[in-house]
Amino acid sequence: MAPDRPALAAAAVPRPPLVSRLRGLVSLAVVAAVVAVAYRQTDFDIVALFTGAADFWRFFGRLVPPLSEMGSNWGAYLPQLAKPLIETLQIAYVGTFFGTLLALPLLFLASANTAIDPVTMWVARVLLTVLRSIPDLLWAAILVPILVVGPLPGAVALTLFSIGVLAKLGSETVEAIDPGPLEALRAAGAGRLATIVYAVIPQVAATMVSFVLYVFEINVRASVIIGLVGAGGIGFTLQQRLNFFDYTGVGLIIVVIFAVVLVIDAISVWARSRLI
Amino acid sequence: MTGTVPPTPAHVRRARAVGIAIAVLAVVLLVVVLATMDLPTWTRVRTGLNRTLPPLWRGFTNPDWEVFPLAFGAMLQTLYMAVLGTLLGGVLAFGLSFLAARNLLGGTARAAPGKALLVAIRTFPEILLAIIFVAAAGPGPTAGIMAMGIHSIGFLGKIFSDVIEGIDQGPMEAIRAAGGDGVHVFLYAVVPQVLPEFASNLLYRFEINLRAATILGLVGAGGIGGPLIQRLQFRRWDEISTFLIVIVGFIVVVDFISSTIRRRLV
Repeated sequence: MAPDRPALAAAAVPRPPLVSRLRGLVSLAVVAAVVAVAYRQTDFDIVALFTGAADFWRFFGRLVPPLSEMGSNWGAYLPQLAKPLIETLQIAYVGTFFGTLLALPLLFLASANTAIDPVTMWVARVLLTVLRSIPDLLWAAILVPILVVGPLPGAVALTLFSIGVLAKLGSETVEAIDPGPLEALRAAGAGRLATIVYAVIPQVAATMVSFVLYVFEINVRASVIIGLVGAGGIGFTLQQRLNFFDYTGVGLIIVVIFAVVLVIDAISVWARSRLI
Repeated sequence: MTGTVPPTPAHVRRARAVGIAIAVLAVVLLVVVLATMDLPTWTRVRTGLNRTLPPLWRGFTNPDWEVFPLAFGAMLQTLYMAVLGTLLGGVLAFGLSFLAARNLLGGTARAAPGKALLVAIRTFPEILLAIIFVAAAGPGPTAGIMAMGIHSIGFLGKIFSDVIEGIDQGPMEAIRAAGGDGVHVFLYAVVPQVLPEFASNLLYRFEINLRAATILGLVGAGGIGGPLIQRLQFRRWDEISTFLIVIVGFIVVVDFISSTIRRRLV
């Protein structure tokens, strides 16, 4: 700033109106109060994080073996990981497939412009809300004691969660379609199914395929970790390594999981960018 | 009457053929996957179901309200964890987002390392971060808050940098033309433009983090997941159902409040 430039007169900058200033202050105070309560109630100790940083890095050191041993250790591990890794992708695929299949009828029931009547619409909406409110890992934890330990509860858990996400995204899309074709078909006397097939599906098909890919992405992320609660896949191997305090194995599995998720994400993002 | 319906256009028929081909491929792949998967036999599944379903039904139709205060308290702690995790992620993402904004760094190439870092953070599963923090810093909410905070950087940093890249230059130039300096430009042209978007996305991330926080306890990172996984191991379905009611109730109410505020913000 040039030193000789005259300072702005204080009066030249109008102050925002009192109401908006008050609203800002009140919002800030509420947020500050919530954060203060949260800080006390969770015993969150941000200082200890810095004082304990040395321990933290020592732990990281154990995750990564010395370079000289890395080749032999990792070489021995990698083949063992192929099977659980394939199982992980299988769980994600099965979950996405059945999730999509079951979401299709539900999403039309839950959309205001294709619903049969208000009662079934709200039943469908409540069901979808419950399906989505319970995270996929929790679904897996609930289903493992019911179904046999292994990939089956994992696949069912991902199916349930996928239904919730996909039907929600889908019904938002269906509700936003151009009502013209819908009304034209109804006026011509078409039945409910014919209306959906000829007026709704052509408008939403591309978006829906993109959502299915997105849900597959979510399911791959979930399927790598649901093994932690016994639902199959590479997460199960990770849990075993953790129980044995085998941190070299843990570190390697974390790297492999990270790589798989990155690759699947990249493919899915590329495919979705081509669709729309 | 046959003449009144025009033949299906070629591009529609092609799209339909592609759709059918994809569906057939998907079914074939499903058959292959199911055949190679390590699935239990139907009789084994049925024996399991026969054993678990009756107590499960009894438990879910008679939730044990004795554990309600415990579940409610644990869920409140989960909520607090989500608040702090989101705040931590927001503060860290705020700093990083400037390093990933093309218009501030002057070029796509210079913003690329920051953007790549954000993708890497976003991709790294939260629960793995929680496992690492639990192993390094001990079990408890702090590990969960740290995991959420770090993971949230990926999402929030991307959104924040997108918002900064989309900023309208007009108000900035106007304030400069009126003689305002850098501080004035930041306070009166940048902050008013980005604040509602930042706040709205922080709230959205808070909704996501609340869901995530309910499961962090499964690996010992605090919140309602810890007491819940114990009950799952002992199949205390009457108590589990109370926990699930509390979780779903909290999430639905928080989602409603948060989305109402978000609609008013933007």
